[in-house]
Amino acid sequence: MRTQLQQVSTRFSITLIDELAPERDDLLFVQVEKDQAVPFLTWLQELAGYTHLVFFTAVDFIEEGYFQLTYMVHDYSTHQDLAVLLKLDREDPVVESIHHLWPHAATYQQEMYEMYGIEFPGSPRLHDDFVLEGWDDLPPMRRDFDTRQYSEDTYFPRGGRKSRDTAEYMKEQLYPGEAETW
Amino acid sequence: MVGDKVKNRDKFPPVSDGKSQYDLYSGKYLKVWQGPQHPGITGNMSLELVTSGDQVVEARTHVGYLHRGFEKLMERRKYIQCFPLVCRICVPEPDFNEHLFAECTEELAGITVPERAQWLRALTLEMARLTSFLMWIGGQAGSFGMGTLGQWTVTMRDYMLDLFEELSGGRIYHMYIIPGGVRSDIPEGYFSRVEETLQKVEHVLDDIELALFHNAVFKKRAKGLGIIDPSLVDLYGITGPNARASGISRDVRKDSSYLIYDQLDFQPVTDVGGDAYARTWVRFQEMYQSIDLIRQMMHRMPESGPFFTKLPNVLHWKIPAGQTYKRAECTRGEYGFFMVSDGSEYPRRVAVRGPSYTHAVTLMERLAVGANIADVAGLMVSLHTYPPEIER
Amino acid sequence: MSIKDIIAPFSVWKRAFEKPYTSKRPIDERPGAARYRGFHINDMATCIGCGTCEEICQNAAIDMVPVSKTKHGDSGLRPMIDYGRCCWCALCVDICPSGSLGMSNEYIWVDSDPEVFRFIPGQDNKSWNDSSLGYRRAEGYDLLEGERVAMPMLSFEESQKSFIEMVQGYSEEQAKREADRCVACGICIATCPAHMKVPDYIEAIREGDMEEGLRIVYQANPLPASCGRVCSHACEYVCAVKHKGEALSIRWLKRYIIDQIYKNDYQKILDEIPEENGRHIAVIGSGPGGLSAAYYLRLLGYAVTVYDANEKAGGMLRYGIPEYRLPYEQVDKDIIYIEGLGVTIEQDTRIGVDLPLTDLYKKHDAIFFSTGLTDPYGLNIAGEDLKGVMSGLGMLDDVTQGKTPEIGSSVVVIGGGNVAMDAARTSRRYEADVTILYRRREADMPADEEEVEEAQGEGCQLITQAIPLRLEKGDKTRLRLYWGRAEMVPDGEGRRPKPVLVEGSEELIECDTVIPAIGQAADYSFIPEELLSSIEFTRGYVKVNEFYQTGDKKIFAGGDIANSKRDAISAIANGHSAAKGIDIYLKNFKEEVSRD
Repeated sequence: MRTQLQQVSTRFSITLIDELAPERDDLLFVQVEKDQAVPFLTWLQELAGYTHLVFFTAVDFIEEGYFQLTYMVHDYSTHQDLAVLLKLDREDPVVESIHHLWPHAATYQQEMYEMYGIEFPGSPRLHDDFVLEGWDDLPPMRRDFDTRQYSEDTYFPRGGRKSRDTAEYMKEQLYPGEAETW
Repeated sequence: MVGDKVKNRDKFPPVSDGKSQYDLYSGKYLKVWQGPQHPGITGNMSLELVTSGDQVVEARTHVGYLHRGFEKLMERRKYIQCFPLVCRICVPEPDFNEHLFAECTEELAGITVPERAQWLRALTLEMARLTSFLMWIGGQAGSFGMGTLGQWTVTMRDYMLDLFEELSGGRIYHMYIIPGGVRSDIPEGYFSRVEETLQKVEHVLDDIELALFHNAVFKKRAKGLGIIDPSLVDLYGITGPNARASGISRDVRKDSSYLIYDQLDFQPVTDVGGDAYARTWVRFQEMYQSIDLIRQMMHRMPESGPFFTKLPNVLHWKIPAGQTYKRAECTRGEYGFFMVSDGSEYPRRVAVRGPSYTHAVTLMERLAVGANIADVAGLMVSLHTYPPEIER
Repeated sequence: MSIKDIIAPFSVWKRAFEKPYTSKRPIDERPGAARYRGFHINDMATCIGCGTCEEICQNAAIDMVPVSKTKHGDSGLRPMIDYGRCCWCALCVDICPSGSLGMSNEYIWVDSDPEVFRFIPGQDNKSWNDSSLGYRRAEGYDLLEGERVAMPMLSFEESQKSFIEMVQGYSEEQAKREADRCVACGICIATCPAHMKVPDYIEAIREGDMEEGLRIVYQANPLPASCGRVCSHACEYVCAVKHKGEALSIRWLKRYIIDQIYKNDYQKILDEIPEENGRHIAVIGSGPGGLSAAYYLRLLGYAVTVYDANEKAGGMLRYGIPEYRLPYEQVDKDIIYIEGLGVTIEQDTRIGVDLPLTDLYKKHDAIFFSTGLTDPYGLNIAGEDLKGVMSGLGMLDDVTQGKTPEIGSSVVVIGGGNVAMDAARTSRRYEADVTILYRRREADMPADEEEVEEAQGEGCQLITQAIPLRLEKGDKTRLRLYWGRAEMVPDGEGRRPKPVLVEGSEELIECDTVIPAIGQAADYSFIPEELLSSIEFTRGYVKVNEFYQTGDKKIFAGGDIANSKRDAISAIANGHSAAKGIDIYLKNFKEEVSRD
């Protein structure tokens, strides 16, 4: 498979990333450019034997300013997995839909729109609620969505709980007057 | 989306822009919500059905009734703290989550698990499969009006849960497979009690064969219901018994063998019907297969040995940056965990690939069209979907 | 479809007669399995309140709440579990370092008041408190490492041949592995006399950030190169991980940080030193107490002059501890940095001899003295003044100054403290046969455990419960030491048993040298009468208030003369506290005092 991918590497401007799964011979990671993702996936599905879309999801690398889209495809004849990674600018999260290749990708895309705010123009029911009915906050799977803050603002914590830090408490009890406490 | 083998095509409203353009005020169509509280729904989800007469013309799956945000919660938890969390992603069959989470973590951290731990993991996974099937077959029979069978199998499931309780200390959430191995060895005389329970289960299964598969009602209703054409299998990401019942012989345990499955003798169970009956039959046979595999494991498992490998201090366990995907064959198909580590103490992303994700949404929406509304519950259960793994 | 399909389902009617699996509550009892993860139990006496359970709980179900009195190695806190949040995963049980937490197999608890489900296992009276069944951490499964990363050391055969440092120090990989064992509970912070932020600098080691580590260490200890080698490590005796086997090598981890940093880099890493504020403090004695006070006073902006009677600074660190434990260049490393900050050290200046204390008193805004215990106790037996009897400290002092002690070929060291061990092991390095006599049991020896172990490893023979009786001039050897056996007699509640001579027992050792090392007393002769009158003493110690101020408001004291622990780290802590005390005094009370 590796050689086959190397042959098309210029055609689809893909790069093999070996360091991500050096131990595995059944899992390859490959990086693809945004405009070449759909042609490459079409080639994988139709000509290279990667007929099974295992899952399609995003990872937020907020520090570097991109979403990593991961299309995991599987070849049943060789039992090989290929993870196609796509770096998507967080500021402009729009990418081509693949629901025409695998209908169930529409569900993944619907979820990703809801959870990350990634747009897949043309994907069926993309803007319909999937899991979060009536949600109007930041897409929650983005790293900048603070779950703790949200839960503190939304729910009422049970009162009467107070925990003590072991070191602080021992200081209070044993050496409140000593130099370090001044 | 319109099914392939649908009669009375003129009943169906025109489709434009991916949506059916039906007019409820015409009096021709009726919208029915099946779920979220409905005995024919597997767990907390709902189907929004548009019917014309008693025929379904459009189906929509709605989830969101038990979203707990595990994937998000894991961003804030250390690896060891995710361990009690992941089992909750799939309630009736939690062990696959534990196993896959552990495997991903171990692979990224570069840890090898002792042999005995692998056998014990495989044993619990196979027991979990049997337990999950027992729950499902009760639902399958129940959805066609045979509630009694469910009572027998749920009893059997409880006997299985007793075994889990004895092994791990928990009935539902076993929290037994931990990164590094398993949490304890088997108790004294455990295998004899497993064998005892397996015999009870076999006895019940024999009765079920008579009561379900030789039942005229079941045969009449399940045969021809929700046929999955083999050509749909790859397109819709269909895996597990749903694919095998359409004649596609694929089984992760065989194809991408994990743990010690390559040391066991078994063949994937297949059927060619592609309908609800075939799927039920395949799963039914897989229950016998699971029983057989459990017995094989009990015989071949090494007598003793370490079952846990020392981890770095889990309170500040940093896992080298990397990404991995691991899969296993659960009762519903391919269960997978995709884990991304950024080198910190917390996982950057854990994405769960539950087989129900494709089965219960896109596939169900397609198969329901044209079905009789009374059969929708049976169809739903025959796809064996568990909503918690859809919305993690 | 056949006729069978109609008939077959009826054949299973027989099941109607089977025994149901349901149990009839409350007639039937169904106890949880032997490993059931039921309600929590906690052995209150074993629990040390380290809070590791709280740390691992992913549900934030555990609060640490005060229950008992804070003791040595026990915070007095105990986990309170909120059953509204608990998920019974039992990770708290798995990680519990003391092994006090467990779970019973009880699983039914009904109450109409939701508040009761937040409870303190072991404290609150529950029916399952004594349950022997239920989840416990299995043998063979452990989330913490109880075994220490072995320290590379010279073998005893090697070590006794020279003064090369015996403990060789961790490599990076070893240090990180050792640092990884820490559960960061912080019980050590309370136990360390200087309250060093141990978990923080251990974390810096894990992160590989030695500069941060150095900054944390210097917050509470300006002599870390020395302390990292010879500290009495009270912290390690209370380490939570010790309950699993061996404590963390806290001392050696500290040393690891210091060993990684070149001494000329200190200045870049540590805090900038403020300009002098015009006030001047005198410090008497350049031991750990004096140097620590000098360092922190300098950090607070004071000009500091240290007066020291010896040729080189360091006090007991240099003159009392042999080089195989603490190489002199390590003492220098600490001192050079302190000197580099502008602290002046006047060597060879004995206050009271070379310079009267009253001069300092007039010239400086305050005086801190930490002169230590310098006068060795005598044995008070006949023949003590014979040739061949030399004090432990005197001998170590000689060795430091480069003199070869005249010990002959056989030595008896009397005492069980660190000085005794040092004298014995130093004697081994001059190829003498060494016997150590100690009047109590081995477990009572005040020396560090590893010191005793290493002394024996290097071939020193240890005789316990032995009381020296008299010394005589020998014929083959210089001396004949007569000693008698002691038996341990209980000495009342809460006090350790005392050794009493067994009447009539008498044994003889022929040896060339006898080295008594049974403790030292302070020497206050340098304090003139007019100042002495205002300073109070209790049983040889200088009495100080919480600011380490003596009866004379301008005079502060610390170190062995002012605390009962008598170790370097306590002296360092005293110096630190006194520096802050002096600062508070000079900033707030000085005006008042000058009006007096």
